[in-house]
This record gives sequence, structure tokens and C-alpha cells, in this order.
Amino acid sequence: MTDGRDTAVALLTATGLVVGHGDSAACAPVTLALLPGRALAVVGPNGAGKSTVLQTLVGLLPALDGEAEFDGQPVDERRAQYRRDVVAVLDEDAFFPSLTGREHLLLTARGHGVGDAEDVVDREIAAFGLAERADALPSALSSGQRRRLALAAAFVRPARLMVLDEPERRLDAAMRTTLAERLATRRDDGAAVLFASHDAAVVAAVADDVLLVGDEECRLLPPDAAAAAMERS
Amino acid sequence: MRRAEAALADTTVWSRLGSALDAATTTGVLVAVLGGVLASLREDIAARPPASGGVLSGAATGTLLGLVAVAAAVLVLDRLGPVSATPAAAAWWLPLPASRRALLRGELVRLTAGCAVVGAGLGLVGALLGEATPSSVAGGIAAGAVAGAGLAAATSVLQARGGAGRAGPVAGTVLVASATVAAVLATAAARGVLDAPAHGLSLGGGGWAPLVLVPLVAALGVAADRGLPRLRTGELRVLGGTAAYAGASVLSLDTRDLGRALAGRRERAPRRPWTFAAVRSPWQALVAADLATLVRGRWQAGQVLVGIALPVVACRTQGLNQLPVVVWLTFLVGWTLVAVAAGHPSRQAQAAPAVDRLLPLGPAQVTWTRAVVPLAVAAVACTLTGLLVGLGSGAPGSWTALAAAGAAGWAAAAVRGAYRPELDWAGPVMATPMGAVPVGVAATLLQGLDVALVASVPLLVALLVGGAPSASLVGVQLLWALAVGSGGIALTARRRSKAG
Repeated sequence: MTDGRDTAVALLTATGLVVGHGDSAACAPVTLALLPGRALAVVGPNGAGKSTVLQTLVGLLPALDGEAEFDGQPVDERRAQYRRDVVAVLDEDAFFPSLTGREHLLLTARGHGVGDAEDVVDREIAAFGLAERADALPSALSSGQRRRLALAAAFVRPARLMVLDEPERRLDAAMRTTLAERLATRRDDGAAVLFASHDAAVVAAVADDVLLVGDEECRLLPPDAAAAAMERS
Repeated sequence: MRRAEAALADTTVWSRLGSALDAATTTGVLVAVLGGVLASLREDIAARPPASGGVLSGAATGTLLGLVAVAAAVLVLDRLGPVSATPAAAAWWLPLPASRRALLRGELVRLTAGCAVVGAGLGLVGALLGEATPSSVAGGIAAGAVAGAGLAAATSVLQARGGAGRAGPVAGTVLVASATVAAVLATAAARGVLDAPAHGLSLGGGGWAPLVLVPLVAALGVAADRGLPRLRTGELRVLGGTAAYAGASVLSLDTRDLGRALAGRRERAPRRPWTFAAVRSPWQALVAADLATLVRGRWQAGQVLVGIALPVVACRTQGLNQLPVVVWLTFLVGWTLVAVAAGHPSRQAQAAPAVDRLLPLGPAQVTWTRAVVPLAVAAVACTLTGLLVGLGSGAPGSWTALAAAGAAGWAAAAVRGAYRPELDWAGPVMATPMGAVPVGVAATLLQGLDVALVASVPLLVALLVGGAPSASLVGVQLLWALAVGSGGIALTARRRSKAG
């Protein structure tokens, strides 16, 4: 993460990005640059516009103003290469219809060219505590189990950028710790991680930088200042 | 509350009389038009020389259609409850310490009356298909009304006895089996392998029917009313949600949403999970996902079988097989059923767009890839239809080739219909003698079918010309279906690429 000036090698950049619905901006303009191997947490109070920022950065919402670029090109989630490089776990859980959880993970992995798909899937199923329910249809899972399945699907495939909206939601404390470790490992392996969170422990464990979203200003904070900012918000 | 509602609504005697007059006039016009069309059809059939291959009498096919209609009615009634309560009614009224029978009786009465009206309409059509006399028309309407009310009451009794959701699969099996068996038997009869069922079900003059059926339906109605207290709140609420969804879909003419509403109860996990070991690329993953969705669907296989059987039965029905355009229409209806079944995975994805973003494929690639499974299904269905029609006509090779050659058009129709945009009721309307028609909505509803209609023109030519289709016509059909089908998918892919 940089302050927005050193964008030469940044994977994801935003310059004066105004996000919102209709003509109404959800928060102040966002400027950021996320490098490979770095993690940026987006924090702020409920309703501050964190999810809208993420959805706009991944191209699911049009920007009201400003620009967002991925890998040097304007963000366009319709491109196949973009879908290969970016994995997003946002509000909407998406699973292949009629497939069990394990089948969904297997097909996702194989579709993204993972060679040892069965081993990878078995590992993620164990890591997310889904072993007993992996052969059920997603519609038969609880909301927490579906959330874990969606997160596991993000980890069974390669990605250069992971975007997650409150990944700790509906997870118990132990699973939050595991998730933070997994995200930190992905970051250390060279992936860029962008996530919104309300959990100071997850932010502290994963984030290299923090973007505090607000109506007046969206400003970057060092991670050690994040906890205090999250408490105030 | 009803008084308050009445105070706000325009419910004067004159406004009600006006509404009733409107309804009566519209019904009268529709009946007159329908009667004219069917009479003209009968005259056309009578004026033509007998065509070869007609082994089923009109009565036999009529009996088959009646059976199919009854099975389809049971299927729908079972899916919708038949007795249900809207989520609001379930939340507000059912917990009250009042008699549940009294709370649900109105729903049962409305349901039974509605089924009676639909049954009367179908009875009227059945009567007009035969030699329509005042007594036969009145008898047909009465029989249809009694049958409709009886089905509603019988499925309500079953529901009260804990049998909700069980009658549907049985009815579906009966429907598929009767259509398939009829097609196979008719083909065998046309080949001279066995004798044809020349007559329909005879009711022995029918004079006994009211004496037996009316008391029976009345008894079923009483039993259904007595069973109302046994219906559980949770089930009534879930079924009410489904019924409201289906009702809104009918009101908005959204057949795609109607299909989703009637799609069935919760799926079960497969007994034998797939490992997708052969999948090596994104497009293969998408094809595998589509295949799994289709194979595991509850109704799709049966729908394909009925879609194959329908044109075969029409080709083997005496009289009907002398009208090429009507036979062509039965091909269209049958293969539309096939296309709707084959488009099931695409419709699922259309409802959850995030699914199409799971793999590294752009919207255009996703659209083209989603045509692979429909192409396979259409190829099998069209080939089988052509083979059965051809076997009865004495030219199996030509008819099989001609039917198979049109498969690309139907695969495109499946994908284009599944991915058609949402209906836009805000567009311009066109004044017609039947009232205002929203042009944009009609154009959207026809997406999918438009490609199929155009792609099937060579088939119509073959039916009009008669005899065995020539090799050149088969070639034209193949190239034409490929061109029209490709164009249809390309248009859909372009629209989806722009929309994202």
C-alpha cells in the first residue's frame, strides 16, 4: 500500500474515486494504491460506505467519478483475465446450482486450473470446519456454514487480488483467527488483499495499511492507529 | 377492515355491473373466436383426403390430452398446496385463537371455484373440438367444471392427510408415461407391429356421470373442509409464498419466473457426488456444471420426453396429420418444452448473476459455452422425434436427418430464452382490438421462441410439400438453423457483454 503517488507497480489503484448509488456519494472520494503482497483494510462505522467502496473497486458498481485501475487497465469485471486474477467474497454468496459444497469447491478449483484439486479442496474443507457438511447442498447449510463455504471457494483457486467484505462475519472466534492467518499467508505469498472489517484483531493480524472511510475524508492510517480509529467509529 | 377497504374502493352496484358486463363480453368474444377457429379446423380436416400414417383416432388423442391435462392440474395443485396462506395471513390470522377451518374456508372455496372455472373452459374447448351441439357444449362445460372442482377437493383432502408434495411426482410420472407410451404405440401401430387404439375412453353415453360425480365431488369438498384444521402453519406459509410468487408471475406474464415458482420443493443432495476429474479448463467446468444441474433437475427429463412425444402423436392422429401447419405448431410446442428444459441451467444462472463470474470466462464466452448442453439435448430430442415420425411415415432416414439438422436453432432458443432481459412494462403500448398491448414486453417474451420459429421454417416447408424430405432440404435446414442459431446466441452474448 502506498499513499497513492507510487503507483508504478501497484496492482489496484483508485484516484479520486467517488462511489455511491444514483447521484448520491456514499463517502468522500477514495485514493489508494495496493501493491502485490500487501493487505489493505477498509474500516469505518456501519453505513460509512465500505461495501460500496469494495463493490466499485471490483467493478460491480459504476463509479460516480474518478478512476479505478487493476493491473494498469481500467477495472472491467467482464474480462476473463480479470475474473482469473481477482476473487471477491462480498455480500452475495454464489454457488453452482445443484452441486454440493465439495463439488462446488472441486469445480471452482478445476475451472481455475488447479492441478491437485482434490487435495486442495480437502485441505480447505478441513480448514474451514466443513468436513461434516461438505456433501450437503448449500441451500441446506446454515448462513455461517455458507459463509465458510464461500471463503473456502476463494482459497481453493489462485488469485492475484482477494477482495473480501467483512470476512469475519458469522464466524466464531477460533475461525476468525484461522481466517486471519490464512489471509496473512496469502498476502505473504504475493497476493494483494483488500478487505472491509469491523474486527480489530483481524485488521491487526492481516492489514499493512488501513483506509478509514468517512463522509468528510477517506484517509490512510498505519495499522497501529486502526484499533483506536475503529473504537471511535 | 373489509368495510374500510370497500369505502376506499369503487364498489358501487353500477361499477360491479359494468365489470361483470365487460367480463361477459370478453368471454363471449373469446368463445366465439375459439369456436370459429375450431370449426374451421374441422372443416379443413374433412375437406382433405386421408393421409397415410394416421393410426390414432381423434377421440384417442383427445383422451390422451384429457389425461395429460388432469395430470398437469394435479401437478400444479400439489405444488401450490393447494390450500395455502399468504405470509401476511399466516403471520396475522393463523395464530389467533379462532377456528382454523373458518379462516381457511374462504381459500378453499376460492380455489375450488377457480379450478371449476378453468375446468369449464377446458371442457368447452374439448366440446368445440368435436361435433359441437348445444347439449354437447353444455355437457362439456359441466363435466369440466365438476372435474376441476373435484381435483381441487381431492388434492386438498390429500394435503390435509399429510400427503402434500406426494401427488405431484405421481402425476408427473403419469403425464410423462402416458405421452411417451402413446407416441411409441402409435409409431408401432403405424409400422403395422400392433393394432392402433382407434377409440377414446368411452363413458357409456355419459348419462350416469352427473349422478356419480356430483355427489362424489360434494363429498370430497366436505372432507376437504373438515381437513382444514389439520394443516400446519409453517407449511401454509411456505406454500402461500410460492402461490404468491406464481400468481405475480402469471399477472406479469413472466413465464420464466412462473417456471421458477413451480420448479419444485427443496432439492436433495446427490447420492453419488461427482469429482469432475475430466475437467481441465473453465469452459469444461461450465459445461460440467450445466450437465449436473440438468441431470439433477426434477422435471427436465420428463419434460424432454413429453416434448418428443407431442409432435409424434400429432403426426399419427387421423385428421390432424392432414394439416401441415398444425403439425408444425405441435413440433414447435413440443420442442419448446425441450428447449425450456435444456435452458434450465442458464435460467438458474440468470437468477444469480454472480454464478457466471465464478470462472475465468467473459460474458460472451459464458453465453456460448452455455449453449453446449442445450445443443446436445436438442440434438437427441430432435433426432428421436424425427426418427419416430419417420418410422411411422416410411422414411425414417430423411425425417431423422431433417429434424436433427434443426437442433442448433433450438439450442440457441434455449439460451436466448433463458437469458432474456427482465420485462419492462414502462415501454410504449400498441392499441389492438383486444386492448392495449405493451410492445416491448411482447418482444421480450418472444426472445428465444423467435429464433426457433425462424430456424424451423424449412421443417414447415417439408411438411407442406409432403413426402420424404429431400437431401437438399436437409442441407438447407442444417445451414439455416446454424446461421439463425449462431445469430441468436451472438445477439444474446453481445447484450450480456454490454450489460456485464
